[in-house]
Amino acid sequence: MRVIKNIKAIPKIQKFRYGMILLASISLLGPLAFLPQLVGNDDLCGTLCMRRFYLYFPGMTWEDFFVHVNAAAIGVMAFGLILLTTLIFGRMWCGYLCPVGGLAELSSRMLNDRWKIEFRSLPQVQIRYGYFGFYLVAMPALGISACSLCNFITIPRLIEAMSGEYRGMIYLVSSVGLVNLGLLLLLGVFASKGRAYCQFLCPIGAADSIINRIGAKLPFAHRIRVAKERCTGCNICARNCMCGAIKMVDKIATVDQMSCMSCHECVDVCDWNALAWTTPPKHHINEPKRIKKNTEIFPLPDWQAVHIHSKKEALEGETTGRAVPQVNWVSVFNAMVLLTVISVMIVGSFL
Amino acid sequence: MLQSFLFIFLLLCSYHNAEANPRYSDPDGCLSCHAYEGLNFIDENGVPRSATINGEHYASSLHGSVPCKDCHREVVDYPHKVENTEVDCSESCHIEEPSEGVKYSHDVIHDEMDKSVHADGWYKGLTGGNRLEEIETEQDPSCRRCHSNTLYIAEAQLANFKDAFDHAETECGNCHQGKAWMGQFGGHILRRFVGRRWNNIENNQMCIDCHGDKKAMSDVKQEDRETLEKHPPSERFIQSSESYTKTLHGRLIDANSNFGASCIDCHAPEGWKHEIRSYHDEKSASHPDNLGETCGQSSCHSYTKKPGNEGFTMTDMHDLSLLGLTNMENPLEVEGLSESNWFRSAAPILLISIIFALGSLIWWLFFRTDKKIIAILGGDRFEQVMIGRKGKKSKGKKSATKKPRAKKIPAKTVTAEVKETEEKVENIQATKEVKDASAVSDNVISKADQVENKLNNKGEVVSEQKRNDTIKPESKDDKGV
Repeated sequence: MRVIKNIKAIPKIQKFRYGMILLASISLLGPLAFLPQLVGNDDLCGTLCMRRFYLYFPGMTWEDFFVHVNAAAIGVMAFGLILLTTLIFGRMWCGYLCPVGGLAELSSRMLNDRWKIEFRSLPQVQIRYGYFGFYLVAMPALGISACSLCNFITIPRLIEAMSGEYRGMIYLVSSVGLVNLGLLLLLGVFASKGRAYCQFLCPIGAADSIINRIGAKLPFAHRIRVAKERCTGCNICARNCMCGAIKMVDKIATVDQMSCMSCHECVDVCDWNALAWTTPPKHHINEPKRIKKNTEIFPLPDWQAVHIHSKKEALEGETTGRAVPQVNWVSVFNAMVLLTVISVMIVGSFL
Repeated sequence: MLQSFLFIFLLLCSYHNAEANPRYSDPDGCLSCHAYEGLNFIDENGVPRSATINGEHYASSLHGSVPCKDCHREVVDYPHKVENTEVDCSESCHIEEPSEGVKYSHDVIHDEMDKSVHADGWYKGLTGGNRLEEIETEQDPSCRRCHSNTLYIAEAQLANFKDAFDHAETECGNCHQGKAWMGQFGGHILRRFVGRRWNNIENNQMCIDCHGDKKAMSDVKQEDRETLEKHPPSERFIQSSESYTKTLHGRLIDANSNFGASCIDCHAPEGWKHEIRSYHDEKSASHPDNLGETCGQSSCHSYTKKPGNEGFTMTDMHDLSLLGLTNMENPLEVEGLSESNWFRSAAPILLISIIFALGSLIWWLFFRTDKKIIAILGGDRFEQVMIGRKGKKSKGKKSATKKPRAKKIPAKTVTAEVKETEEKVENIQATKEVKDASAVSDNVISKADQVENKLNNKGEVVSEQKRNDTIKPESKDDKGV
């Protein structure tokens, strides 16, 4: 009964989201795999691979690049479509469709919270792009197949293995498969809200979130936005955010568009309508709805997607010791170097 | 009316026949005897052989336009003797290429074949006699094993070939004019370009026909390169075709894709495709030093030639460890269980599940009523960083008392400070007579003793810090004194 109660308590949009993820999983993965079979594939590799084409190989020319694009034409088109929708609507693929991250998230949500590891407070951008650089350049240059740490193989193979298929079993028992399974369990199932893999290791997510951040400034872009004056600082949105994109700065919620997946959970959960998935406001900032006897009534909310702190504020933050949500790109570079070294050691130990 | 139509139809048919006829021309008149069916005899080895030549089959073969006597040169008389009918293609040349004026010969291929690992095969200077003499038990293949001269144009390519052949006159004929080119070579060259018999799948099938037979392959004797001793083949050699099919190349070819690299693509990538050498050989295309060049010839891996990509070639294309994984019956047997990856992977999973079960039990017994559930790892940091709350630790313990302790003072400075206080204490002792503040001085002496004790046993930093904390204010007091 409690389970049914819990399910009933899920907001409507989240129910829709879970449904979409399940639908995408059924049609993209596993024994059925409707969509891949349309092009004669039974997994997400080969012509459907969305990743391999942008991997850098030393001495790679544009010709090589186009050969890769040609070999995985459908995957490249899908990738382009994902980026395009991201530019306009936010990360719809990641939040609503992606079966790889979605299944991990759903299985994590079914697990009791006491077993989970909290990854959301780690420096996401640094780790993500550190690994992204490693994945893009160092792995192919070292001769390690980038496919060996690709979650778009792991999840389909895992589903295959569960449906008793021979190839999936083989993959899971190999050392590469076990490492990937470990990563999936650690960063997916046993992570709080189950999206740590998406935050840290997914290359598509990394490319996608750059577009998400770039598009946030555009006048037609739908993003999760905060109306600062409405926020009461109750921090329920930050607790519920599955990506760890919401951070309380000066007791006001700020959304990091580098991490936000536009999953709407914060919108559902906020009692004060301080968050919304909208375009930038058309009215002037803080324009009152009406003025009566010099008193502003119902000021229209200023929906901000990106919170840029002026230098003055940043300085204040330093003096008061409060964190300022700015990405220090030196630390990103440091993370890249560090992660490369660590990963080379880890992967090298398997060779 | 009907009769006239029939007449026209017959006329057309006869016209068609008249066009097709010259292709079966037999200027030497060999077919006048050899076309008879049942022209059989028994050779000196006691093997029954057939001398019947199907004119149609011969004409549609690669050498269909070459008259018999061009190759069977020794045959002059009629009737001819059996002994001198053999052909040696490596010496004699049958066709002159019009552009270069050089007579064509298989000599190049003969040389190449000599260098390859298949050099011991029955090719005997590429004589035509290598047909029945080729024995099944022979270790190395003869020419005919691979070049069975049937249906040269693959059925799948036939439509393509016909289309190209129809346009050859207008396209190739622009430059290559004359009957010699278009008549003799047009079809031949087009066959090579368009109607090629082998695609990658068929190429592989040719190799797998022999190399896929593990029983036969385990009987092969390999030669040691240095000692020239014969030894039984390695496991890698026996399983070569099996392990290949497990790689991406093999799987692509299994899936009817031409993207997968075939056996020949890697082992004899360039030229005439006959020079298949052992991978120990430095000139071999599959030698580790040459892999960059070999893999780089394809459009898929063209960057491997470039410096910095050497790592790419590290992938083992005959990885034997993949084979063990496919042996699925083994782990299910009790004896093989402890050796399998299943068993190894089960150990940590078992450990984790025990912890899981125990933890659940403990939680159920003691913490069931707790409303707030915090993640086992990182929950505290989340509260601090994302929510902006001061962490549990700093909240629970009084920050005022903790702050000075948290300041880590290096041991050296601590001892130095302690020495300073000692000196001060001595000064106080010296000025003891001046003032009558006995209580204070006694107190200080006892503290000084303590300091000495603590200097003798080099204790933990924390305890020294504590002393320092206790001493500091008093030494300040001393200053006042």
